[in-house]
Formats: sequence, C-alpha cells, structure tokens
Amino acid sequence: MNAPITITVALDGQPHQIPAGTTLAALVAGLEYAPSAVATAVNGRFVARALRGELQLQAGDSVLLFQPIAGG
Amino acid sequence: MHREPLVDTDSWTVAGVTLRSRFLLGSAGYPSPEVLRDAIQASGTQVVTVGLKRTLVSGSDNGFIAIVREAMAAHNARLLPNTAGCRSAREAIELAMMARELYETNWIKLEVVGDEYTLQPDPIELVDATRVLVREGFVVWPYCTDDLVTCRRLLDLGCALLMPWGAPIGSGQGLVNPLALRTLRARLPDAIVIVDAGIGAPSHAAQAMEMGLDAVLLNSAVALSGDPVRMARAFRCAVEAGREGWRAGLIRAQDFAVASTPVAGQPVLLGPAESSTDDRQKG
Repeated sequence: MNAPITITVALDGQPHQIPAGTTLAALVAGLEYAPSAVATAVNGRFVARALRGELQLQAGDSVLLFQPIAGG
Repeated sequence: MHREPLVDTDSWTVAGVTLRSRFLLGSAGYPSPEVLRDAIQASGTQVVTVGLKRTLVSGSDNGFIAIVREAMAAHNARLLPNTAGCRSAREAIELAMMARELYETNWIKLEVVGDEYTLQPDPIELVDATRVLVREGFVVWPYCTDDLVTCRRLLDLGCALLMPWGAPIGSGQGLVNPLALRTLRARLPDAIVIVDAGIGAPSHAAQAMEMGLDAVLLNSAVALSGDPVRMARAFRCAVEAGREGWRAGLIRAQDFAVASTPVAGQPVLLGPAESSTDDRQKG
C-alpha cells in the first residue's frame, strides 16, 4: 500500500493538510512567513529556526507559530 | 545632609547594561501605533515590554511592533519580551526560548500566572522556570508577588532583579501593601526592585520611588488614559520626582506639629486673650 499523499497536522489548533514528508521549515515557507518572522513549537516544544529544516512533521503533530506583538 | 551629588549620575545596571530611566513602559492597548510611539518618546523610557501571540489567534499587529522597534532604535533602548499567558513553568520556558529567537535578546520578563481572577504570579512555577532559564543563559526579570521568601529564592537562583506587583495587573489600585514593599527594600537592600503592575496614577509611581524602590513598570495607566502621551510624561515626572525625593532623604512623619518658622526671640505683641479675637494674627 502506498504511503498517504497528505497528512493532517494541527496548525495553531486548526486541522491543516500538508504533503507527507513536509518539514517544519517548508510549512513556514508555505504559509509565506519569512523564517525570522515567527517562532515555532511542535507538540509544545520550541523548535529553533536552525532546526526546522531537519524536522519532518508527522500526522497529528501540533504546530504552533508565534509572532511578536505589543505586550505589557 | 546631602547624601548624593546633584549631578545626575543616578543610573542603574542590569546584566552589564546601564540605564538612566527608571520608568519601564508596556506597549499594549494604545489607541494607535503613532500614539504608542509618542508615548514612548514622552516617557523617556529605555525599556519597553513586548509579547508573543499565536499567529492565527492574533492576526496582524497593525504595525505596533514595527513602531516599537523603531522607537527603541531611536532611543538606543531595549525590548523586554514577556511570557504573558503562561500557566506553568514548562510553558513559560518554551515561550521564553521563542522570545529570545524572535526578539534577539536574552532578557525575559517571566510571568507565570497562578490565579485567573487576580492574575497573581505562581511562586512555585516561577521558581521552577527561573532555575531552568538562568541555566539557559537568560537574564530573568521575574514578575512576582511581594513575598520576601519567594523573592529571596529568585535572587538566589540568579535573577537579575525582582519585579513585585503593586496590585493586580491592570487594577490601577496602586501599592496595596506598602509594608511588604518596604520590607523587601529593607531586607534586600542590594537587590534591584521594580514595582510591576497595579499602578494607576503618577502619585503611585512617586510613592514607590520615595520608598527607595529602583524603578516602576506600567502599561494600562498610560495606554488606557484619556491622553496616553501626556500621561507618559506625567509618569516620567512622577518617577523622577519620587526618586529625587528618596535621594534627598524624606523627613520622618510625626504625630505632632513642629513649627517651621523660628520663634525664639520673636516679640510677643499681644497676650493670648487679645490675640484670639484679632483676625490679623490668623495664618
């Protein structure tokens, strides 16, 4: 049986389909964010920018993207 | 007696960075990016707090962060990212890591809330997070309660300073427990102590500074005021006035009057019975 073409991850809590084998770096790029514009976490753990290209996302992974915002 | 020279050498240092302003400003809740920019300028602040939010939840920030970065560069000032919204040490640690990458600073305002109603810091989680973050090379600015023992633990773990609350965040109540803050000052005389949260009026900031605390951090009192730029200026004046008052040395409060005009050798023109009915003697 062939591997599924797409997998579903949770992106900021919402279901999001990506090609199997997609790296975190590719996901960020596909969303049209500059690499330095967001910080990333997968399954609750921070993933440094330099490591995003090595992290292949798995079905069911929870991906959170954070951006700068005003704060107190 | 003069304890310090009047020339302004009244700077303070955090992790090797010397700061002159003792007024730290939050960047949230302003009517527009332009008002925020002008408030930063009016405040004279050198440290502005910022945050992080999930992209899909927050959407665009309407240019606020760009304005903050621009203003900070113009004043050679620093950003202080926070971990607002965290409820556990683990969350705060992960968010701090992200803040360090996004803002390119190892300074972190560590917030771990333990109660939803008061937004009171959770001392246990705060200490746990501090232990890890200091080890990871962060300069930790902990938002904490005014509990002396917790504060001492935070310093022992390597916090650069302490940021006890004056009152619950955004409440505007001022310093609800001045005794606790005075105790912190007395028991931790060498620690940098910054009142963070709860300040509503410039007089509250002046009160904190008159107590010998080192700085104040506030947001809502400026951002939500009728005129944030004017209020930023008012707080700047209050912080400076309170600080100068403390440096000059306040007189001790007493329960009785002490005449300020010397009376020794003054002629007594009228006796007590006559003076009591003479309007000219009033005042």
